[in-house]
Amino acid sequence: MTEFIELTINGFSLGAIYALIAIGFVLVFKATGVVNFAHGSVLLLGAYVTARTQEDLGFWVALVVGAAVAGAGAALIDVLLMRRVRAVDAGTLAILTLGIDIVLATELTRRIGPDIFPSGAPWGSEVVRMGDYVIPETRVAAAGIAIVILTAFYTAFRFTDWGIAMRAAAADGRTAALMGVRLNRVAAGAWALAGAIAAVAGVFFTSFPAPGVDNATGLSALAAIPAAVIGGLDSLFGALVGGIMVGLVATYCAGYQDELSFLGRGLGEIAPYTVMLIVLLIRPAGLFGSRGVTRV
Amino acid sequence: MTSLAKDKPQPPTGATGRPLLRIRDLRVTYGDSVNALHGVDLDVPDGAIVAVLGNNGAGKSTLLRAISGTLALEGGRISGGSVEYDGNDITGNDPARIVRGGLVQVPEGRRIFAELTVDENLRAGGLATRDKVAKAEARERVFELFPRLQERTGQKGGLLSGGEQQMLAIGRALMSRPRLLLLDEPSLGLAPKVVEQIATIIGEINRQGTVVVLVEQNAAMALRIADEAVVLETGRVALSGRAADLAGSDEVRHRYLGIATTDDPEGTAPAAPAAGGSGLTKAPAADAEAAGPTSLPAGTRRAAAQRLSVQDVTVRFGGITALQDVSFTVEPGTTHAVIGPNGAGKSTCLNVLTGVYRATSGTVRYGDTELGGLRPHRIAQLGVARTFQNLALSAEATVERNLLVGRHRLTKAGMIATGLSLPSARRELAEQRARVREVAALVGLENDLDRLVHVLPYGTRKRVELARALCAEPDVLLLDEPVAGMNAGESAAMSQAIADLRGALGLTIVLVEHDMPFVMGLAESVTVLDFGRCIADGTPADIQRDPAVLQAYLGTVAAEEELSHDDDAGDPQP
Repeated sequence: MTEFIELTINGFSLGAIYALIAIGFVLVFKATGVVNFAHGSVLLLGAYVTARTQEDLGFWVALVVGAAVAGAGAALIDVLLMRRVRAVDAGTLAILTLGIDIVLATELTRRIGPDIFPSGAPWGSEVVRMGDYVIPETRVAAAGIAIVILTAFYTAFRFTDWGIAMRAAAADGRTAALMGVRLNRVAAGAWALAGAIAAVAGVFFTSFPAPGVDNATGLSALAAIPAAVIGGLDSLFGALVGGIMVGLVATYCAGYQDELSFLGRGLGEIAPYTVMLIVLLIRPAGLFGSRGVTRV
Repeated sequence: MTSLAKDKPQPPTGATGRPLLRIRDLRVTYGDSVNALHGVDLDVPDGAIVAVLGNNGAGKSTLLRAISGTLALEGGRISGGSVEYDGNDITGNDPARIVRGGLVQVPEGRRIFAELTVDENLRAGGLATRDKVAKAEARERVFELFPRLQERTGQKGGLLSGGEQQMLAIGRALMSRPRLLLLDEPSLGLAPKVVEQIATIIGEINRQGTVVVLVEQNAAMALRIADEAVVLETGRVALSGRAADLAGSDEVRHRYLGIATTDDPEGTAPAAPAAGGSGLTKAPAADAEAAGPTSLPAGTRRAAAQRLSVQDVTVRFGGITALQDVSFTVEPGTTHAVIGPNGAGKSTCLNVLTGVYRATSGTVRYGDTELGGLRPHRIAQLGVARTFQNLALSAEATVERNLLVGRHRLTKAGMIATGLSLPSARRELAEQRARVREVAALVGLENDLDRLVHVLPYGTRKRVELARALCAEPDVLLLDEPVAGMNAGESAAMSQAIADLRGALGLTIVLVEHDMPFVMGLAESVTVLDFGRCIADGTPADIQRDPAVLQAYLGTVAAEEELSHDDDAGDPQP
């Protein structure tokens, strides 16, 4: 039982990180209708910049720099490439992001080479004891920061003018334009914010127990895609739920690996996709996605 | 006329001062091929209300989009001419810049943000304004004009009634304190009583100093409140002048007001310019009439309808009762209308008949078949076809493709035969195409078959819906608001087309509609719903005399007073 509760807490924490990535995914999708496959390499960019600058700047400043670079990078993708071809259909744009992902990931992988750059996060292998339960400090920090970011994001989205412009543009861009909302600016803002949040998530992915940024970091972010799809691609709340589901499932599968050995090894990596398939079979638009059904 | 007459001094036509909006030789094309405007001139004097009238497809919405800078979002572009606002050339400017200059458009169909609350919708409207004090003042003014909105600030926009949504759409636009307000069909789909309210409010907004350009199908309403008007025809200005003069011109009276509905005793002056009047695009009537009973294609079979009976049907969604104990019977080969105010349960009624909704209790029988438990596609196979209030067409497909969908139940070739393009499938497709062509000819669409639906004007799309339903060779045809958004002339043409089809094919028709002259001219029996209950049932003549119906649907004087009283009181919502 103790193990189960520890795994649950760990799973929640990991899930919060996935939720951060998935929310970026959903944000870009809502604002521009694009499924952004370049999200993983933007995350890698942020994590890489943080890891390379943390020795000179200290971890926290480096984290801000990493987030800023990833945000600016994502916004540049939108302004330089996506904006010019916005009118073509969403499928073409998604393929374009795949191309961007390959170029960006290849360049970063070349720079990283065989090295591993530690993220420099101040939390390491220490553990926090809560009664009977032992939780790694890094998991507590991840959950804490994720909750702060998610709350700030929710508040801004719900109550500020920026949030209203964002939601209006996502609901009906043509009408929002009639209100004076600058759709291009909203789109670039969504990309930038998604990139910055992804960078923060990336830093957690490369902190303990991971040794640091290496050339496979971009791939680990892929599990956020099933998280976003499970929740429904156009639902921010869905991204949160989907992220936590993926985190829990991956953690349980890893934790109970021995009991589940009849299913083979490495179950934790495919489990999110299995959950995604099951969810899609039952609800093709994801748990909270709008079903595209209109009143007749 | 008298109650709405404006008490402000009328700005002189062709005022000496510079007009606030000045359009010269404006040309617009969509997708490089479709020319929507061919050189439109328009002057909007300061202080005025200018009405823009015209049939579906005349270019009214396109004109507004060109002014507000949103053409590009619809795939169009200005290919010539100029738009000058307040002395500056704004041709092709970014919409955000135009809004910040005080020129705001309320889009057709209201387009409120359904998932945002009323308050958030209003805030969205004020996004272009930086000044906090100005924003607060604008909000005050909106709440003075629309006390309803103040009572509902926390409610989601999508839950408002049609009339309230229109109020919200106008209120949202007023949040940026426009000097020039463009209104695209504010009366679309609203009950007559609500249209009157909206008209009064537009007059009030104008009196408070906002110039209004009003695009309307409801020419009677528009000409009553406007100072000047232009009539567009296929992308050109056909008539222009003082609104009162136009309202009196025979041309306009006939085409747009429908002679029976003209009640303007003042407009007596004959219209001076009648140029191009005869070249008016006449929608379906002529074609349908000509192609009607006489020239019916050989293969057309007569419908073999059975009696459709609805018994004590109740539908509940959660705690809301949409229909309660509704019963009526439709005899084979007759036309039955279901009417009632917005939200009375008319569309719910059709949705039960087609199996989209399931009745909570009660029975629906078609002949000997109980429709209650059947899925929609099974009901369609029985020969029941319908059209939709909010058009349900594939916008990116051609008219022909949309109509072929209607042939689905009569198509035998399966996925494999079609996928491999076997001779049998090809032969069948050719036959189906021929049938589609015949049906299209019946409703006057034969020249539009290769066009994409999204370039077609609203009224033509309505006919595509009708044609698609006919393609299924139904015995029973269900029509959900077939003439919503059409002007009197088009509505009469549609009425004629439906009457011809009924005669030629022996169809049983159930129709839901707001347009009373349309219903009374077509239906043999009428059921009136109000708040989900059946309040009257009988022949059109009976219904027109029924006091309960007058009260519920047409709104008596007492009901009007009560309504405006409600607004003043502004009961705080719990």
